[in-house]
Amino acid sequence: MQLKKPGSVPTALMAASCALLGASTAKADDSYESDDWQVDSALLYYKEDQQRVQAIEPVVSLKRDFGDDRSLGVKLTYDSLSGGSPNGALPSHSPQTFATPSGASLQAPSGEPQTYTTSSGRVVALLEKVTLYTTEPGQLPLDPNFHDQRVAFSTSWQQRLGEQMRLSVGGDLSHEQDFMSAGLNAALARDFNNKNTTLSFGTNLEADAIRPIGGAPVGGTDYTQLQKGGNESKTVGGVLFGVTQVLSRRWLAQLNYSYDASHGYQTDPYKLLSVIDAGGNAVGYRFENRPDNRTRQSVFLENKLALGRDVLDLSLRHMKDNWGIKSQTADLRYRLELGNAMYIEPHARYYKQNAASFYNLYLNAADPAPDVMSADPRLGAFDAMTYGLKLGMTLADKSEVSIRLEQYRQNARDVPAAFGQLQGLDLNPGLKSFIFQVGWRFSF
Amino acid sequence: MTPASRAIPVSTAGARSARNGASSELRITQQQNGIYAATFFAMASPCEILIETRDAKLARRAAQAAADEAWRIERKYSRYREDSVLSGLNRSNGASVVVDDETAALLDFAECCFVVSDGLFDVTSGILRRVWTFDGSDRVPAPADVDACRAFVGFQRLLWKRPLLNVPAGMELDFGGICKEYAVDRALAAITARFSGAVLVNFGGDLCASGAPAAGPWSVGVERPDSDREARLLLDLTQGALATSGDTHRFLMRDGVRYGHILDPRTGWPVKDAPRSVTVAAGGCTQAGMLSSLAMLRGSEAERFLTEEGVKFWCLR
Repeated sequence: MQLKKPGSVPTALMAASCALLGASTAKADDSYESDDWQVDSALLYYKEDQQRVQAIEPVVSLKRDFGDDRSLGVKLTYDSLSGGSPNGALPSHSPQTFATPSGASLQAPSGEPQTYTTSSGRVVALLEKVTLYTTEPGQLPLDPNFHDQRVAFSTSWQQRLGEQMRLSVGGDLSHEQDFMSAGLNAALARDFNNKNTTLSFGTNLEADAIRPIGGAPVGGTDYTQLQKGGNESKTVGGVLFGVTQVLSRRWLAQLNYSYDASHGYQTDPYKLLSVIDAGGNAVGYRFENRPDNRTRQSVFLENKLALGRDVLDLSLRHMKDNWGIKSQTADLRYRLELGNAMYIEPHARYYKQNAASFYNLYLNAADPAPDVMSADPRLGAFDAMTYGLKLGMTLADKSEVSIRLEQYRQNARDVPAAFGQLQGLDLNPGLKSFIFQVGWRFSF
Repeated sequence: MTPASRAIPVSTAGARSARNGASSELRITQQQNGIYAATFFAMASPCEILIETRDAKLARRAAQAAADEAWRIERKYSRYREDSVLSGLNRSNGASVVVDDETAALLDFAECCFVVSDGLFDVTSGILRRVWTFDGSDRVPAPADVDACRAFVGFQRLLWKRPLLNVPAGMELDFGGICKEYAVDRALAAITARFSGAVLVNFGGDLCASGAPAAGPWSVGVERPDSDREARLLLDLTQGALATSGDTHRFLMRDGVRYGHILDPRTGWPVKDAPRSVTVAAGGCTQAGMLSSLAMLRGSEAERFLTEEGVKFWCLR
C-alpha cells in the first residue's frame, strides 16, 4: 500500500472526524434529559406612530424535558395596550364627535348635557353616561381611550407513542376585559424513512366569549341610535396536515395545509363606517357587521438551509378565506454566526392581501345599507413590509441574551379617489410601527 | 514535570471483565482539588467523567448529559440489541434504506477510514468473527471457511449514496471500531455545551480532555495491557485525546504461532506481528482511536506508519 504523502492520514481522519462530530449535534442534543427548567423570557415593546396603539408584553415560557422525548411546556403572557385605535370613520374637514363605548369606568364630563349633536346636525340623547371625544379636522378618527390588558396562559405536553409516533396535547386560556377564550389542541406526528420524513396531523378547538364594553352593538345599525345588545360568543375549529422532509443534510423543508372554521360573533364591536353623501360629507355612521361564518385555508412552506454555520430560513404562505381575502406572505431570515458566542439575524417579511368582499372605506348615503360591512383597514387591501435585526449572545453560563428591533410599514392599496369634501384628506393613511424586544434564555 | 492533578487509571484489558453492561446508574463523588468524578458503565467499559467545578448540580447535570449520550449511542449502534438502528440495517436483507443524519455521518467517516487505509479498516469485517473465535485455544479456522466468509466483507460492496444505503444480503455493518471513541467526543461536547471549565472524559481508556484543572494538567496513566496494573506510562494532558488499541489476551495459538485478534479484512487472516498495544494522541478521540487501530492493522509496520505520519504515539510490543 502506497502512502501518498506523510501526514495525509491524520489530516484526512481529522477532517472526517470533524465532519462526523459536527453532523448531528443539534438533532441528538434534543433527546437529553435535563433536570432543570429551560426558561425563555422576553419583554416586547410595540409602538405605532401618530399616538396610536402601544403595547408592552412580557412573556415567560418554561420547558422541562423528562427524557425519552417527554416534555412539558408552560407559557404565560401579559399584554398591556393603550393609545388610540382607529374607529373606522373617515377623516373630515370638520370636527367629528364620537362616544366611547360606555362602561362603568367611563364618565361623562360633569355638567355636560347628556346629548350631543352629530355632524349631520341631529341632536341625540345619550342613553347612558358616556365619554365623548372629538377628532380634529383632517385627522383620522381614533378612540383615544383604548386600553386593555390581556393575560394568557398555555400549556402543552409532548411524548412518544412507540418508536415512530409523537403526541402533543395542550390547552390555553386568555382573558381580557371584554374577551375570554379557552382552547384545546392535539397533534400526532409520525416519522418515516429513518426520521427523514415526518407526517403530522393536528386539530384545535376554541371557544370565545365576547363581552363588549357597553354591550355588543347591533351590527349595521345607525351609530347614533346606540342600539346595543348583550354578550356574544364564537367557536373556532381547525385541522392541520403537515409533512416535514429532510431533503439533504443541509436542507429541511416543511409543508403544511390548514383549514379552520369559525362560527359566531366576528364583528369588531368598536368599529364604525362613515356614511358619505354625494358631496363627500359624513352624514352619519353605522356599526360594522361581519358575517357569522368564516372558513380559512392556508398552505405554508418553510425551508431551512444550513450554509456552513449559518442558517437561512425562507417561508411562504398562501391564505384564502370565504370572505374573499387572499393573502401571500414571504418571510426570510438569515442567521449569521459571529464567532462562537454571537449571532446576528436580519429579517425581512413581505405581506400582501386583497380586500374582503364586504370591505368598504365608507358607505354611500344614496345606497341601501348592505347586510355586512366593515371599514376595518385590516380587512382592506394592503401591502406590508417588515424589516428587522436580531442580535444574540451566549454568556459564560450558557444563557443567551438577545435584542430585536423591527419596523413594520403597512400601505393601503386600491384606496378610492377622494371627491367633494373628502378632497385633500388622507382617507387610509396606513400604519407604521416598530417593535423592540429583549430576550433572555436560561435554565435553572 | 507538572504536579499531577489526579492519576487516571486507564485500562485496556480489564474493561471487559469489569461488569456486564446492564447497569445504567451514574455515581458522583467529590474528589479533592474541587473535582467531581462521575462513574457509570457503558459500551462494555467502565466510564469516568472528571469535572472541575464547585457547583454540585452543574457537575451532575453535565455528567448526566455525557452518560445519556454514551447510552444513546450504545442503544443506537449496539450489534447486541435487536432494536438498534444498526441491527435494523443489518436486517435490511439487501433493501435500500434512507439512513438518519448521524448514521450517514458515521458511514461517511467509515468510508474515509476505508479509503485512507487502503481497505485495512473496514466496518463490514465483523462477519469474520463467525469463523474466528479468539479464546486462547488452537481452533484456527480452515482457509476455505475464511474465504467463504470474505465474500461478504468489503466496504466497496455496500451501495452508499447518502442518504441511501444498501447492505447486500449476508453482509453486516459493525461500528464497534468507531463508536466508543465517537461517544467520548460526543460526551465531551455535551458537557462543554453547558460548561466551560476543565473536563476529562474517559471511556475504558479512550479519553479526551478539555482544559486543565487549576492545580495543573490531568495526569493520565496508561496501564500495561497485561495483568499487572502498574502504569507503564504517565502523561500530562490539558487538551486533546488519547486512544489505545490492544491485542491483549485475545488470541489463538497453534503450532507455536500466535494468531492475534486483529484481522486483516482483505485476507480474513490475523495481522502478523501487531504490537501488544498502541496509544495515540490526537485532537479528538475519534481521530486518535482510528490512528491507533490503523497502526495495529499495519502489524510489524505500526511504528513506521505512525512515525511517517507524524503521529504522537506510544507502542508496546
